[in-house]
Amino acid sequence: MAAPLLEIDDLRVGIRSNAAAEILRGVSLTIERGETLAVVGESGCGKSLTSLSVMGLLPDGLEKRGGTIRFEGAILPITDNEAMRRIRGRRIGMVFQEPMAALNPVFTIGDQVAEVILEHEAVSRADAMARVVDLLARVGLPDPAQIAREHPHRLSGGQRQRVVIAMALACRPDLLIADEPTTALDVTVQAQIMRLLQELQRDLGIAILLITHNLGLVAQVADRVAVMYAGRKVEEAATAGLFAAPQHPYTRGLLAATPRPGRRRAGEPPLTEIPGVVPSVTELLSGCRFRPRCAFAGDVCASVDPAFGGRVACHFPQTVELVPGVVT
Amino acid sequence: MAATARRIPMRFIGKRLLHAVVTIFGIAIINFFLLQLAPGDAADALAGESGTADPEYLANLRREFGLDRPLLEQLASFLMRIARLDLGYSFRYNEDIAHLIFHRLPATLLLMVTSVVLALGIGILFGVTAARYFNRLPDRLISLVALLLYATPPFWIGLMMILVFSVQLGWTPTGGMRDIAASSKGFAGVLDVARHLALPALTQAFFYLAIYTRLLRAGMLEVLNLEYIRVARAKGISERRISYVHALRNAVLPLVTVVGTNVGGFLGGAVLTETVFSWPGIGRLMFDAMFQRDLNLLLSILVLSSIFVVLANLVVDLLYAVINPTVELR
Amino acid sequence: MSFARALLRNWTMALGIVLLAAVFLMALTANFVFPGDPYDMVGPPLMWPGEYEGALLGTDSLGRDIAAGIFYGSRVSLLVGFSSVAVAMIVGVLVGAFAGFYGGWVDDVLMRVTELFQTIPQFMLAIVVVAVLGPSIGVIIVSLAIVSWPAVARLVRGEFLVLRDRAYVHGCIVAGMGDLRIIFRQILPNAAPVIIVMSTILVATAILMESALSFLGFGDPNVLTWGTMIGMGRSQLRDAWYIIAIPGVALLLTALALNLVGEGLNDLLNPRLRQRKA
Repeated sequence: MAAPLLEIDDLRVGIRSNAAAEILRGVSLTIERGETLAVVGESGCGKSLTSLSVMGLLPDGLEKRGGTIRFEGAILPITDNEAMRRIRGRRIGMVFQEPMAALNPVFTIGDQVAEVILEHEAVSRADAMARVVDLLARVGLPDPAQIAREHPHRLSGGQRQRVVIAMALACRPDLLIADEPTTALDVTVQAQIMRLLQELQRDLGIAILLITHNLGLVAQVADRVAVMYAGRKVEEAATAGLFAAPQHPYTRGLLAATPRPGRRRAGEPPLTEIPGVVPSVTELLSGCRFRPRCAFAGDVCASVDPAFGGRVACHFPQTVELVPGVVT
Repeated sequence: MAATARRIPMRFIGKRLLHAVVTIFGIAIINFFLLQLAPGDAADALAGESGTADPEYLANLRREFGLDRPLLEQLASFLMRIARLDLGYSFRYNEDIAHLIFHRLPATLLLMVTSVVLALGIGILFGVTAARYFNRLPDRLISLVALLLYATPPFWIGLMMILVFSVQLGWTPTGGMRDIAASSKGFAGVLDVARHLALPALTQAFFYLAIYTRLLRAGMLEVLNLEYIRVARAKGISERRISYVHALRNAVLPLVTVVGTNVGGFLGGAVLTETVFSWPGIGRLMFDAMFQRDLNLLLSILVLSSIFVVLANLVVDLLYAVINPTVELR
Repeated sequence: MSFARALLRNWTMALGIVLLAAVFLMALTANFVFPGDPYDMVGPPLMWPGEYEGALLGTDSLGRDIAAGIFYGSRVSLLVGFSSVAVAMIVGVLVGAFAGFYGGWVDDVLMRVTELFQTIPQFMLAIVVVAVLGPSIGVIIVSLAIVSWPAVARLVRGEFLVLRDRAYVHGCIVAGMGDLRIIFRQILPNAAPVIIVMSTILVATAILMESALSFLGFGDPNVLTWGTMIGMGRSQLRDAWYIIAIPGVALLLTALALNLVGEGLNDLLNPRLRQRKA
């Protein structure tokens, strides 16, 4: 069998100034060619940090402590900036959360998209520009030739996110990392952007790593879902299976807190929230880090941090199926 | 990436021009009342207190300035003369003042352009480097140099450079603009002027360099933390290009205003630099005018340099509108 | 307590305070350390530092004691620097406060005038004022105040524009408090930190400008200043450069001290800015 497209194995990231503080505590994820993996969890769980690690763009003050990241079977030289540059933008594209702040205000849209092509491929400026116009049309922007000449402040948030997507796809990457791509947008625009991502994936065959806290989004587009909590993966399953029978108490909590159409009619319990907050990285906590917020915790949870066993990292995985029929 | 030129509406230019004209007249009025403050009658002040002024000169001045007429009428005629750029006559130099100033202008402009370009070039290099190596050794060193340059009187730096480079090392002349002995034609002439220009231009540049470095470092630090820089990194752009193209183009915007102010106010510093290096420009002329108490010449230079400032501000406004696409043109 | 700890952490500010204290000490003790007139001859001319016992820092071309000049010169620098900035503060705060508080046409008129003064190159305006009114300590103080106040006015106006919309100011207005009371008792204290920081930097600039005026020969002829010493020493640059170097270093250290104190105060008084810097 061919190697997976992206394979993250036991990734550990910590704070440089504090040897005890670990933000990612052994994250392992795998993405096959052409599939969509969603990574979900509350903010502060390490979702974004995982994707930034793949790009070799850890913020100042953080350091990689261990683990490997393989891309097409080869270990990513994430600490070698020059080697990483040839992968960023060319093999892996990335879409960020804040389209309003993602574009440089002083350069035209066309220049910013063409820059990716010119950086990675030996093409003339004119050819690059022609490709830019095609790309802008491909991401659904009206009058792409005109938009290429505009500066970012003339575009709406949704339009700018389309430009960012065009930028990420400019060199036909194999993997697109989308970090909360719709969070900052209006609800109607959110749906449009997600539909665009799905279309692009179908047409271009790229794999997508979708990072989000929005479970509604996940149900719609993801093939598989990984749930992260406090720097670890706590559950992973195919989307349908996860929604039908979540095993980790945290996953159940997340689902119970997510509004979905039809749930009231199906006689599900009303929306509830998970009590408490994600523990901070410096907080000393033995055993399972979800224990203080967990209704099912037993004695063993206080002493032993549960290992990930194929599906879930929990001493007391829940097996009762949620009411059937709500799985989208 | 090329900046695309923007069309600037005529109304915008018109409004700025009107503002400029009003400002120039405001300054002329300040000038006029400054002269009224001088002890004795304005003609005495204009002629100087040396006591050597002959009666004919004084009478000439009184007639020219209409000093026997009411104050407002004097002001009106003063403003009219400014409007016609009729600056009068310097009896000390036996020359038309406009002609005198015009004759000295090229030397000062050469000094100005050289020093501002030098300061900008080094300032950008320093500011960007300091920001890229924030809180590390290069940043510490550059910030220290900038702080020291900012706290040192420029004329003293000039003297110390003469001591080191002219007196001790003998690399450069101690002053002037050309060697009388050297032929002033062709390449040799250019080289001769360049040798004379080096120290005064550096002296003047050092002062601006301190300001540009600090301003650019602060601006770069702010811009480098913005989201679009992270996006540029995710695009695979090199750190050098991110610093010098993506971040600098944004961080340099506030610098444009400051450079404009420096260019406009150049003569203030040039008085010192040109005096230290005997550079035959307007600054040196101003020093001489002051030394000989040629107030008319002095005030003419002041009004002209203020006009220069207003024009520089106008250019900055327009330039800013061109290079910053987000600015609203009203 | 927390101030002391912050001071320790901020050693550059501590250095600035020590340097500034030394300059003040020189100014206060000049009479006792050097009882005579600094213009008097104390020994043979052109003695290098350490060469002649009677003058530790050497003598100039007329046999005057350079150390005495440094001590007496510090008086002029501090007097001119601090007084001119004090005058500029009074004018600038008044103009800026009224412009920022009242807005509308008051703001328009006051800011137009401020802009006008900022348009004339600073040092040139100072030179012309001294040239017209004659060189004396008083005139120099006035001339430096004239070129310094516009910057204060703009800063104060900016602060007032922000602060006048705060809830506590609205509360005062509703409570029927008088405008002047609100301006000086309520808003001004809140704007004080930035004003204080700016004033230290302005004092440094004023001291450097005074030295430049004296260097050009337009200082008060009755007192000895560092700028005058440099100006008079120019002709000896070739053989006795210490005559110029020593007062230059004194100027550099004084201006440096004020800048360090200003930066330190900025960090202490504006925690918001400090955070952004880190």
